[in-house]
Amino acid sequence: MTTSFETFLLLAPELVLILAALVAFLASAFAGLRAGWLVAILGLGLALMISGDQPTAGAAVSSGPVTLDGFSAFMRMLIYTGGLVLCLVQAGDRFRAAVQTDSGGVHRHGSGEEAGTFLILLAGLSLVGLANDLVLLFVGLELVSIPTYILLSLKRSDAAGQEASLKYFYLSLIASALFLYAVVCLYGLGGSTSLAAIGSQLRSLGTTPVATTVVGTITPSMAAVLLPVTLGMALAGAAFRMAAVPMHFYAPDVYQGTSPGNAAVLSTLPKIAGVVVLARLVALAIPPLGNGQPVGPVAETFLAELWHLVAVVAAITMTVGNCMALMQTNLRRLLACSSIAHAGYLLVGIAAAAAASSSASSLGGNSLTAASASLDGLGATLFYLATYLAATIGIFGGLTYLGHRWPEWSATSQDRPPLEEIETIDDLNGLASTNPVVALSLAVFLLSLAGIPPFPGFWGKLSLVTSALGIDSGAAVFGDRQSWFIGLTVVLVLNAAIAAGYYLRLITAMYFKTTDKGTQADGGLSAGLAMVVCLVVVLSFSLRPRGLFTSASEAGSTLTGTLVTDVADTMPGPDEPIDLTMQASLEEF
Amino acid sequence: MNLLAPSTHLLLVILMPLVGAGIIWLVGGRGVDAVRRCAVTTAVLTLLAAGWLVLRYLGSDEAAAGQPYGMVSVPWLTGGMFDIRLSIGLDGLSLWLFGLSALLSLTAILVSWEAITERVVGFYVLLLVLETAMLGVFAARDIILFYVFFEFTLVPLFFLIGIWGHDERRRAAVTFFIYTLAGSVLAFLGLVTIVLWNASHTGSVTFDIDLLTAGLAAHPLPMDAEGGYLQWLVFAALLVGFAVKVPIVPFHTWLPLAHVEAPTGGSVDLAGVLLKIGIYGFLRFSLPMLPDATAAFAPWLFALGAIGIVYGALVALVQQDLKRLIAYSSVSHMGYIVMGLFALEPVAVEGANLQLINHGLSSAGLFALVGMLYERFHTRSISSLGGVATRAPWLTVLFILFTFSSIGLPGLNGFVGEFMILAGSFQRAWTGVASSLEQQYLLFAALGVIGVVLGAWYMLWAVERVFFGASRLPPSHQTDAHAESLDLRWHELAALAPLAVFALWIGLTPNTFLQPPAETVRRLTRPASIAFADLMQPAGHRPSDNQTLTTEHPAALQPAATLATLPPSASTTP
Repeated sequence: MTTSFETFLLLAPELVLILAALVAFLASAFAGLRAGWLVAILGLGLALMISGDQPTAGAAVSSGPVTLDGFSAFMRMLIYTGGLVLCLVQAGDRFRAAVQTDSGGVHRHGSGEEAGTFLILLAGLSLVGLANDLVLLFVGLELVSIPTYILLSLKRSDAAGQEASLKYFYLSLIASALFLYAVVCLYGLGGSTSLAAIGSQLRSLGTTPVATTVVGTITPSMAAVLLPVTLGMALAGAAFRMAAVPMHFYAPDVYQGTSPGNAAVLSTLPKIAGVVVLARLVALAIPPLGNGQPVGPVAETFLAELWHLVAVVAAITMTVGNCMALMQTNLRRLLACSSIAHAGYLLVGIAAAAAASSSASSLGGNSLTAASASLDGLGATLFYLATYLAATIGIFGGLTYLGHRWPEWSATSQDRPPLEEIETIDDLNGLASTNPVVALSLAVFLLSLAGIPPFPGFWGKLSLVTSALGIDSGAAVFGDRQSWFIGLTVVLVLNAAIAAGYYLRLITAMYFKTTDKGTQADGGLSAGLAMVVCLVVVLSFSLRPRGLFTSASEAGSTLTGTLVTDVADTMPGPDEPIDLTMQASLEEF
Repeated sequence: MNLLAPSTHLLLVILMPLVGAGIIWLVGGRGVDAVRRCAVTTAVLTLLAAGWLVLRYLGSDEAAAGQPYGMVSVPWLTGGMFDIRLSIGLDGLSLWLFGLSALLSLTAILVSWEAITERVVGFYVLLLVLETAMLGVFAARDIILFYVFFEFTLVPLFFLIGIWGHDERRRAAVTFFIYTLAGSVLAFLGLVTIVLWNASHTGSVTFDIDLLTAGLAAHPLPMDAEGGYLQWLVFAALLVGFAVKVPIVPFHTWLPLAHVEAPTGGSVDLAGVLLKIGIYGFLRFSLPMLPDATAAFAPWLFALGAIGIVYGALVALVQQDLKRLIAYSSVSHMGYIVMGLFALEPVAVEGANLQLINHGLSSAGLFALVGMLYERFHTRSISSLGGVATRAPWLTVLFILFTFSSIGLPGLNGFVGEFMILAGSFQRAWTGVASSLEQQYLLFAALGVIGVVLGAWYMLWAVERVFFGASRLPPSHQTDAHAESLDLRWHELAALAPLAVFALWIGLTPNTFLQPPAETVRRLTRPASIAFADLMQPAGHRPSDNQTLTTEHPAALQPAATLATLPPSASTTP
């Protein structure tokens, strides 16, 4: 594996981001504090333009440790467009808790350092999506984590802020260490740091008698010992970033102890990283399209163990997140728990993808997969992720825009008391009358997260449910796997109903309660703009989910190797009369 | 595009309220009157367009051939596993419910004329959005589109109850939303499973309801352990969703709360239309697509229906709050419909289908009148009202008319439906069930008859206490200063008159209303009827083809749409 000039060409957008970050660091020293975000937005725009010019369709382009396929191109688009909106949110984040502390901490809202750090974070995340190599994958993940520590500690210097950044720092280190353990195990299995080589080795294990690699001889029995450790550790690393059980417990404290703008970053970008890691893990056991390589028993075990593990974690994560959220009164804690729950939904798609890729002969038992009508689970996950991003960034954008409100105050006596932070659900009371646009947008985002049709969250849940229920749906005999996935979808939809409980509490506060608090929204206008952008995106996905869905499922299928056939081409068009044979078959009664 | 083509016409009817809502949003600044006028105009135009469409349907070739009318099918979410379409059309089953939605939306808007004084723009916008959702749910021909409308009806009603409701409105709104959502998400799983099963076994991915019905008839979901009891599971999932919506006792606990706290307009839509969606779902999905499971569950649901009738009536009997009383009477009346539906006897199912409309008219009328009483006297407590008849004679007349319609007085619409349901139930009990079940069926059918008596008791007793006798009005209303203003005003009369006209019309010439849906309803019921007959035969001589069935159950295949062709009195054919 060599790093060539071509590698740098493929990484041009990321390089642009890093350069922009350097400019932003410098610019804030000379051109004022707000200039950093302008640079960030320009840099992101440039990076988007460059990545738009790169080949995305067709075969994957690999060079050195980097591979650009449909999946990484989709993730890159998602990261950059999401990052652009998050930039607006961050730029408008004028969080004032630091001003009010006794320590005299000075609040430096929207500084150039933040913009630069944020750009590096995005570049790291994009590298994670592109990585075809364990080392680059790990470096990318660290490049996501380290800027996050900085963002957390820059924004808020009071006790809660310090608690949040320290907690995140230490736990993130542990998660990284665990993930590194998985990386080592994978290296041991595959004898290479290249994901393609590891995958190829994993698939051939058991079909050829003994496999010899640089690290020695690997037998299937050795692999059988290594696999659970590898999967457990990798899942732990990914779970921390997605805020999934059992690595979820930092989320409420950290979200509460930081600003809404940072919470927006925390609840979205690391989740993308977690999904990418898991998707790459699933793809290890699947031969590339048209490769024709047989899948050995070890790879089968790998997939079966993976989907069992992920399904269990998904069910627990959804339930824990939603039940915790029901008990919260603090707004950001509630949204943190909601973010945990959504990690669980995302994992359902991963589990379905792993199960769909493994054939029925493994742990699943006796079922015969005939003509299963299955939606690609990975595509469903990516689609869900996109709808989740739009709604979540929108919510935090709205909260950032609101920033602080005037406390309850009567005009008769004294001067207005200072602004107070929007902290609890009750602080949203009466928002529909004081800030109708924000209230309406938040209501739409919340309904989307709750999965109420026709909002995008519903389409996301529909595709997750379809992919999970599609496992073995054509089997002649009802199998274990089918009951697993039926159980998982039942847990999913019941959780959706539980989740509606706390989302409705927010809507109830905004629309059904009244308040004496003032209408001042002191957040930056750019955060409001981000909210409006998200609203437009959410509404347009509600009415036309097709474009996003198609690209998400194509991106997913490049990893899982399933062919996407567009059924719309084979179905009768709108002008054609409907099939009359069904009339005939009904008349037979 | 031909504006008068049936498909465009149907699309226009569904979108018209949405357009009206947009216009109201725009003219919102011009004062309350402009908003109200705009809302009424929209609702009237929608009603006229819908009425015209119904008339066109009745005269169309599609109606004669039993096909959906005015089909539109546009790709919505297609690609991969999905072929979800914006696909709408009317057929016999949806015809009257579609018209009822348009009619009751106008009623809901008119009865809110003076009751709603705050945030008027939002109120009418939500009512009109709700109308679009209700029209859409009955017109949808795509299984996911149906679910989208089904679920989306919750959102406007949630806000209507939560913002404009009474004291406990927040709790009522949230309870209503969560309870219904929890049920319908399970139904959603059932619907997706149906699609996937059909796609796996027929090889074509489709979300079209008619194609799915045909596909599941050819490849039924398995009922045995080898197939994982999939048909049972799917039926149970749909049952939970639709039973909450109906509501079938014991899933009814959200209903009284939601009704009592809802503003009058919301109650009218909720009782008149939204409760019908559950039954519509059973008829549209469960009976034709899952006939074996339906047949297996039918005795239990028949029993639950009968229990619901008596339970609802008994609870209604002791209510102090007039609105709560009407709410429990809804529970009782929906019990009849459930009983009739799961008797799986053509007469009873057609009766149940008609009773959907009847209950929609009478309960909407009664809720509207209770709202008017509340506006005048600021109380719904039966014990603090009395002698209203002397103060508001026309209001009293209409209340009594809808009461009679509700308790099934011959000559009014309620009688026709209840009679057909009970006749069909007894027929099923005497001729159509295994001998081991006969006692049980007879008992529950008899409970239905007892329910009629109880229904007359609680309704007439309430009428007597509220409208007659000495006036026990609150002190502020004892003076005759406002005496002349207590009777119906023009907009209230306009809201109720159409309902009264239809109540009489259906009562006097029921065939006009029974005939159009008869063919469709029978076709949708037939698979379950046959499966039930199979189930009731002792093993060994099961009639597996139509011939056997025809000889044993003439009513199963012959039109039962007229009272004249009702089967001979069941007591003579044991």
